[in-house]
Amino acid sequence: MTDEGPIDPPARPGWTVLGGLALTFFALGVTVNVLMLERIGSAPRTVVAALVVNAATSELAFVAVRDAGGSLVAALVAGWIVASRFGLLAVSLGARLRVGTAHRAAAGLQSFDPNVTLAVQQPDPSSVVRVFWTVTLAMHAGWWSGTFVGVFLGNVIGDSQRLGLDVVFPAALLAIIGNLLRSRPGALAAAVGGGLCLVMLPWAPAGLPIVVSLVGAFVALAVTPTPAVPGVAR
Amino acid sequence: MVFVLAGGVAAQRLVGMFAGAALLARVPSLARLASLIPAAVVAAVIVQLTVASGKSIVVDERLAGMAVAGVLVWRRAPFVVVVLAAAATTALLRAM
Repeated sequence: MTDEGPIDPPARPGWTVLGGLALTFFALGVTVNVLMLERIGSAPRTVVAALVVNAATSELAFVAVRDAGGSLVAALVAGWIVASRFGLLAVSLGARLRVGTAHRAAAGLQSFDPNVTLAVQQPDPSSVVRVFWTVTLAMHAGWWSGTFVGVFLGNVIGDSQRLGLDVVFPAALLAIIGNLLRSRPGALAAAVGGGLCLVMLPWAPAGLPIVVSLVGAFVALAVTPTPAVPGVAR
Repeated sequence: MVFVLAGGVAAQRLVGMFAGAALLARVPSLARLASLIPAAVVAAVIVQLTVASGKSIVVDERLAGMAVAGVLVWRRAPFVVVVLAAAATTALLRAM
């Protein structure tokens, strides 16, 4: 670990990473949409919901609150809070984008954990754009394949927990932030953000622990020294 | 109702992209947040997916799978190896 920056410069994701992400999102697409189809009861409406909301965790949070007897307003708020991390991620992506307004808006609407995290690690604006959209395509290829399989063919994967598929997404995320964790500021941000989330999980409303994890980024910013070369993250 | 949910989700993304990013651009000392935010937020997502079950903290086979993933990431293993090893570890422990 170093204060001078990541040990290695961030590499552009190759075919194995993109393929791995596509498979990860395929598994997510199947499992999430099988669940959503059970709740919604209509295949076309399930597909439309996935397309329009564009945030599986929001859909799941909304459904979870309704299943627990919560009001429509409570379900909406839960869905919005859970999705707020995409707004935070869009902040970090927006700071690295050098594109026009329409392109920026399109990128904002497609901000997810893997594509933003990989993109903001790139050294120059053109690489940020190229990596962002490449990863986005891989994610969508997997997600939509999984969505259509899950909705129209059913749960072809079987018991996802028996196969350990519930750790595929967090393991993929860990691999994606691995390079960030090799620098002291990144590790500190992750430790504080993850720690706050852990403490808040048992009592805070759904989604709030993730929002509060943002504090980790500010702690790391305040505690770690500013790099000597402007624009070089430490 | 799905469009109301979608509207709120989209609005947050756009506010982050335009207003949040503009703030970072105006305050140079905040520019480093661009790479620190994903580290903090994604770490929190990982924690939630690894140990949460509803509102409970549950230490189960997922943690073992993620521990294996952590070691492999530290050792710079390929992405696919990390993901498959985590899943395999978790599945194996559940089968025992």
